[in-house]
Amino acid sequence: MDKQVRKMILVRVLLVPFLIVLAVYGTLVYYFSAYAARQVRAELVRVADDHRTLVDRFLEERVADLRFIVSSYDMETLQDPHRLTRIFRNLQTASNAFFDLGVFDAGGKHLAYVGPYDLTGKDYGQEPWFVAVRDKGIFISDEFLGYRNIPHFIIVMRKQEAGNDWYIRTTIDTFAFNDLVENIRIGKTGEAYLVNTKGVFQSDRRSGGRLMATDPDFDSYVLDRDAVSFFSIRPVDGKKFVYAAGPLKQAGWVMVVRQTAADAYADLTFAVIISLIMIIGGGAVVLVMGFVQASAIAGRLKLADMEKQQMKTQLVIAGKLAEVGEMSTGLAHEINNPLQVMKSELAMINEVVSDISDRHGGYDPKEFEVLNESILQIAIQIERCAKITQGLLRFARKSEIALQPVDIGTFIPEVVDMVEQRAGVENIRIIQELQDGVPPVMSDPNQLQQVFLNLFNNALYALKGKTGAEIRIRSLREGDDLVITVADNGCGIAPEDMEKIYLPFFTTKPVGQGTGLGLSTVYGIIEGLGGSITVESEVNAGTVFTIRLPIGRT
Amino acid sequence: MRDMQLLIIDDEERFVKTTKALLERKGVRTHVATNGADAMQVFEKERVDVVVLDIKMPGLDGIETLRVIKKRYPLVEVIMLTGHASPETAVEGMSLGAFDYLMKPCDVEKLLEKAEAAYEKKSAQAEKARKEKIDKIISDPLEALKKG
Repeated sequence: MDKQVRKMILVRVLLVPFLIVLAVYGTLVYYFSAYAARQVRAELVRVADDHRTLVDRFLEERVADLRFIVSSYDMETLQDPHRLTRIFRNLQTASNAFFDLGVFDAGGKHLAYVGPYDLTGKDYGQEPWFVAVRDKGIFISDEFLGYRNIPHFIIVMRKQEAGNDWYIRTTIDTFAFNDLVENIRIGKTGEAYLVNTKGVFQSDRRSGGRLMATDPDFDSYVLDRDAVSFFSIRPVDGKKFVYAAGPLKQAGWVMVVRQTAADAYADLTFAVIISLIMIIGGGAVVLVMGFVQASAIAGRLKLADMEKQQMKTQLVIAGKLAEVGEMSTGLAHEINNPLQVMKSELAMINEVVSDISDRHGGYDPKEFEVLNESILQIAIQIERCAKITQGLLRFARKSEIALQPVDIGTFIPEVVDMVEQRAGVENIRIIQELQDGVPPVMSDPNQLQQVFLNLFNNALYALKGKTGAEIRIRSLREGDDLVITVADNGCGIAPEDMEKIYLPFFTTKPVGQGTGLGLSTVYGIIEGLGGSITVESEVNAGTVFTIRLPIGRT
Repeated sequence: MRDMQLLIIDDEERFVKTTKALLERKGVRTHVATNGADAMQVFEKERVDVVVLDIKMPGLDGIETLRVIKKRYPLVEVIMLTGHASPETAVEGMSLGAFDYLMKPCDVEKLLEKAEAAYEKKSAQAEKARKEKIDKIISDPLEALKKG
């Protein structure tokens, strides 16, 4: 039964609130994760945006540099190698990304060149970049190998000068440019790189991807025409990346910033894991404690239930006793009257028989002997009945007569004296352990005497024929009560009799030896004095009666 | 003590009849009544010294009868006979002037013993009253003559 109670407590008090808390927590974690994820995304997008702006600015500036040259010098000047060289050096102070400088005529012939390669005189008329710049006026190429067979990209500008177009071209230092692009720290795995519209790398990718190779994942990119887009694609080599990519304005490239998802969301993941650990850990602790508490409560409830049962039983006993008490006064009285009649009739019979036996002396005296025997027996039996009714009346009496202070320390030895001799004859030891300094109780000495005599007599009866028999009487003070125990190591009380011992007329003695009223009277007296009596017993081990009396009743 | 006259009041007919017979064998003049009204009638016809009165259950006419007797015949001693000896009734009876009480069932001898003790008291009281009367006459004869 207490398993059920425990389960009920666990479910109602523990599980339901726990689930609710879990739901609340779960919702919080979910929304927090969503928010944090958005933050990660926004951050990456911002980085990509800033970085593409950086590269855009760089290209813008390089174009501006070229424009300055083109508007400051004419073709004549620029064709002069010395002048060109000087201008180039100046250019390099503005930015060391300028790798070389070249001037071309309208047909694409390389007129002048300053740089590490030997390119003067070469004809670039058919080159795609030349075609493009002839069209657009300014052209920034993708990375290509060109005559030098080394990846590079160029910025070319057309100058229209009096019907004669000429062109100026510069190569941007791959390393410097690469550095610019690559040089960014995003978390542990974050990297930036450029691809063109066909997915060809325009810069090295740190985690794998050589310049001018094609990005195998490019087809999965989700790109916008102007803004930075955020996306992720299916895992590559077991790693999942998140991307932020946005097109450059100055060149037909896309700045791509990517980071492993694990790295990007590291903080968030950490927070969620910590939360989960705490939920699970905390939850486990709560569950265990709840279980323990529920068990404890269930245990207590069970105990309370048991006590309630005990009290109910006691109430029933008290009720029965009260009922019997009510009955017995009337009963005793009803029986006493017929007894009185019997007694007087018997007295009359006796008188008449005496007369007859006196008058008729000649008759056989033996006849009268039998008659006299019978008369005597009837008298004895009437007495026996009288004693029973008296006992019953004593038991039923509820009144408190004459309370006076009784010092248990001297009182008990007096009562023990009354049974001392009988105990000695039966080889029963009586041990008294009476605590010193116990104040007197307000009580009725006659009734108390009855109580103790009864208990002692019962003990003596229980110890009949036992070796090492002893009666141990203890008295001590416990708080506001005086506690007196009368213990014997005799035959004990059978469990099935325990409920009945206080009931009137219940006795385990053979017929005629006991009225069965002793303990009933004792119970009534103790209850009437405001105390309580309890008993513990074990068959063949012994019995202990414990009496509690309040000290100093007001 | 043999000129003592007894009255037993009890509603058990058999008991009063047999007890009367037993007492008269011993030479004690005994009257009987089985209820309060009959008892009063006996008082009017005879001289009663000691009454043995059955109290029965508290609240019924035993105590009432005691009250009436003590009021009308204050010198008569009453012994309560009771089947249930509750201290309350005993105290009440004593306070109303009963001499003593006996528990049923009791021996005739015991009853007689108590009755004789009661009669002795009655005699002593009567003697005392007589003496007082004489003293009064002696001290103030005129008053005594007036009162008559």
